[in-house]
Amino acid sequence: MTAIVDVQDVTKHFGSVAAVDGVSFRLEEGKIYGLLGRNGAGKTTLMSLLTGQEFATAGDIRIFGESPVENARVAEQICFIKESQKYPDDFKVKHVLRMAPRFFPNWDQSFADQLVAEFRVPLDRKMKKLSRGQFSAVGVIVGLASRAPLTFFDEPYLGLDAVARQLFYDRLLADYAEHPRTVVLSTHLIDEVSALLEHVLVIDEGRLLVDSPADELMGSATTVVGGRDAVESFVGGREVIHRDGIGGLLSLTVAGLTAAERATAKAAGLELGPVSLQQLIVRLTAGSTTDFTENAPTTPIPEEARA
Amino acid sequence: MDESRPIFQQIAEQIENDIIAGALPEETQVPSTNEFAAFLRINPATAGKGVGLLVDAGVLYKKRGIGMFVASGARARLIAERRDRFREQYIAPLLAEAHKLGIDADQLARLIHDTTPEESHP
Amino acid sequence: MSAVSTPTIPGPRPLARRIGNVVRLHLANPFTIIGTPVIVLGLIFAVNWMIWWIVRTAAPSDPQSVADVADGLQYSGATLWIFVYMMVVAIMAMNLTFSFALGFGSTRRDFLLGSGLTFVGLAAIYAVAYILLAALETWTGGWGVGGTMFNSFYFGVDSPWWLRLFHVFALFLFFLAAGSAFGSMYVRWKARGLIVFFSVVSILIMGAVALVTVSDSWPAVGEFFEVAGFTGSYALSLVLSAIAGAAAYLILRRATPRN
Repeated sequence: MTAIVDVQDVTKHFGSVAAVDGVSFRLEEGKIYGLLGRNGAGKTTLMSLLTGQEFATAGDIRIFGESPVENARVAEQICFIKESQKYPDDFKVKHVLRMAPRFFPNWDQSFADQLVAEFRVPLDRKMKKLSRGQFSAVGVIVGLASRAPLTFFDEPYLGLDAVARQLFYDRLLADYAEHPRTVVLSTHLIDEVSALLEHVLVIDEGRLLVDSPADELMGSATTVVGGRDAVESFVGGREVIHRDGIGGLLSLTVAGLTAAERATAKAAGLELGPVSLQQLIVRLTAGSTTDFTENAPTTPIPEEARA
Repeated sequence: MDESRPIFQQIAEQIENDIIAGALPEETQVPSTNEFAAFLRINPATAGKGVGLLVDAGVLYKKRGIGMFVASGARARLIAERRDRFREQYIAPLLAEAHKLGIDADQLARLIHDTTPEESHP
Repeated sequence: MSAVSTPTIPGPRPLARRIGNVVRLHLANPFTIIGTPVIVLGLIFAVNWMIWWIVRTAAPSDPQSVADVADGLQYSGATLWIFVYMMVVAIMAMNLTFSFALGFGSTRRDFLLGSGLTFVGLAAIYAVAYILLAALETWTGGWGVGGTMFNSFYFGVDSPWWLRLFHVFALFLFFLAAGSAFGSMYVRWKARGLIVFFSVVSILIMGAVALVTVSDSWPAVGEFFEVAGFTGSYALSLVLSAIAGAAAYLILRRATPRN
């Protein structure tokens, strides 16, 4: 395993608020990661820490084996497309795109030109006069054309319409296939990107809830629906991720059922439903999560499952 | 995409379907992992895992430096496997639902007979 | 967990290149640093020229009156705004350009070195342009109407051109450095930081004024500046500029681009 990001027990306090709270994980080279969680969960702060824009209160961060703080060598390998990125007041789109090749060593100008045409970004308009979608598109263009070995997209498609979002996914996949690199996609819109992700990190209230390969995570939970007693007796002492009930009906979301257990459930007349990544994360991070987080292992899927 | 099973399994199944349907004839090259990924809008690693399942099962084989090909005899083998699974995958749930609705085996057989004989696609 | 290896990455690009990138960043839109000042300067010049023309046609044309008018005009502060504008440029640069530069992978140190270089360069270019315009002003007999805009008293009308160049340069640099310091305070501590700072500075100045007054030291202060002269005073401003620059550096070293 080649870890290009190694985070050990990192904490970031803003006053008395812990925006990131004792987080540890590694990112391996050449994968697309999803950094998922609700708004305000700490995603942007975490990425700001990884890119040296913020200073950690405690803990250790290694990017390419080095601290990212005030490290030009590391910074040149990174592209961080921040949803709230500020631009100089007088900057037009063309100024941003003219500066990018100076700062990103792997910049591909013809790819950038192609993307500008495809996203229909007005080069001569001032950044602060752009619509939210056009503003996001500029970030997407810089993020893709920079081909940085470690690229962060923070809510990259706010305001982008369906066509532009699809274009983003297509170009990201195609370019990633040709020029493998590590990409971190941070978003709270999970359904659209879930198939793009190889590995998923879920953060909630500053803490890491999930650090797991996406496909294992997607198959990891099942919703069991049926009569209250039947569902309760089937689920037994199993860990319940989410609980919903109306009258005599009960719907419980549980982790990892084996094929035999599924058959038992079906024989007992229970309905088994799939749980999408989005549903799973909504359930993990919804208000009722406090019960869950207390006994949830940070990594529900064993590492040795990976080749 | 169906969310109850991992995507890579679904990819493998989709390729199998194409082989069974003859869209991917034996001894022809299949699209690359990256092409699959781009076409299906999924992570290339996931697509690779799906293709890997089929390589392990001997349905596809690698030609070094060229790409991935459909093994000869793959189609017949896949059809045989699917037939084996047909009973548990399709007949069992059908019977369970019929039982729930009070349709007995004879009525079910008649229903099947009367319904336009359209090839059911797995 | 298996052994963890780390891929090796290339060394950073040379410092000069990185600093050069920051300079280019500041100059990316030349309109801000050249276009706007030239246009505003042109407008002020046009208004002033009309005033000179009116004064010249209205005033008696005997040599004494002409000399009086010329003497009055050399206290013109018409070009002062351009120094204030430079301060605004520096404040904006520290705030928005800083955020942008960090977003594009610049380190704070590289950004500050590049900004310092940009500002010294800008001050030099502006000073040269200023002195050239002053020469043109003299050569055209006050733009044909005996006006004075650039041969201002404040830069020493009697000093040789190279000393005046130094004076103008020092003043530009001072405003840019002060703007950098204010801008970095804003980035680090937001409006609250600036309020605290200016409150403290006001108290210090009032205290100093009170102290000088109470101790009857105004003549001594006047004497100091008289001895120092224009050149000495401007040289002293370089010290203040250096302090402001160092403050900006120290403040931004621990600043983060936040909303």
